[in-house]
Amino acid sequence: MSPRPRPIALLAAVALLAAVVACSAPAPDGRYVQTALPDSASFPPVAQLLSIRCGSIDCHGMPYRNLRIYGSTGMRWSPSDRPLMPPCDTPDEIAQDYLSVVGLEPATMSAVASGGDPSMLTMVRKARGTEAHKGGAIWKQGDDSDTCLTSWLTGAANAAACDRAITSVLPGGTTNPLERCVVAP
Amino acid sequence: MRGLALPLLAALVLAISASFAAVACDPVRSDAIAALGPEAPGVRRGPLHRPGQPCLLCHDGGIGDPEAFSVAGTVYPQPSSTQGMSDVLVHMIDVSGSTFEATTNTAGNFYVLPRQWTPHYPVVVTVTAAGGDAVPMHTFIQRDGSCGGCHVAPAGPDSPGHVCITLDDGGTPP
Repeated sequence: MSPRPRPIALLAAVALLAAVVACSAPAPDGRYVQTALPDSASFPPVAQLLSIRCGSIDCHGMPYRNLRIYGSTGMRWSPSDRPLMPPCDTPDEIAQDYLSVVGLEPATMSAVASGGDPSMLTMVRKARGTEAHKGGAIWKQGDDSDTCLTSWLTGAANAAACDRAITSVLPGGTTNPLERCVVAP
Repeated sequence: MRGLALPLLAALVLAISASFAAVACDPVRSDAIAALGPEAPGVRRGPLHRPGQPCLLCHDGGIGDPEAFSVAGTVYPQPSSTQGMSDVLVHMIDVSGSTFEATTNTAGNFYVLPRQWTPHYPVVVTVTAAGGDAVPMHTFIQRDGSCGGCHVAPAGPDSPGHVCITLDDGGTPP
């Protein structure tokens, strides 16, 4: 009959194992490096769409969101700017929005930019309402807004779809000062 | 029958206690309310109190809270005004096309009760002073029924400032 393990030894072994697991961490140089990124040149109309549809101050136009959107309709990048003053998104804001979007799910973004299904991205699913989203379904799969975003993710933004998406939802239509900011397709 | 009533009563008490605990134990909400400060001297709790503040922070329908609002806020004559503007018509239309109109009181406050109108967001708003032109909001309200949640004075990179009828120089708000 073999001797039974002492409880104290068993506890020590468990504690040691827990300590090893708790202290292990990825190597400092082991961070994921994105292998592919969506096109930055055709991003401006996508940024404008995201600013209008998602970037109001009560949604993603605030610093507490994982997806943080800057733009004229919400949070401004420059401390001297105000919502709608100036009325159009600035180049700095578009650059920040690009970084926000591509950095949200880096590995998945690389996969999508390499030809993967855009719906792998949480932001695509949330906008479509196929995943829980506090703001609900913002648009439907295949409509102009969805096409604007997914065409950019998988190649170059369909500027005509972005244009239609933006102008169709602007409050006040052509009287809206944002209308003159729409990037011509 | 009596054997069933006791567990039901216990479950009810537990559910009510849990609801109270959930409301009472939200430190973010509690801190936000505390940051609003006390009532202004001489102004009682009611329709005229706390102009400019995010109404739905308290009027959220939680247990023990004041009556819930679906939309509420304050309209000022100009961005630098400290007194709200009365008799301003606030016209709201939601994404389904449903509309509602409210009028500001002497403090500049207006509020909508959920039984009167509960919008489906996004919502678009226009404010019109008595005898004046309609001033449209050029962006959407996406989810916050409190005007004061975004319209924090003074204006800054993340706030348009007060909801107002004209700019300080008399111009139309953007």
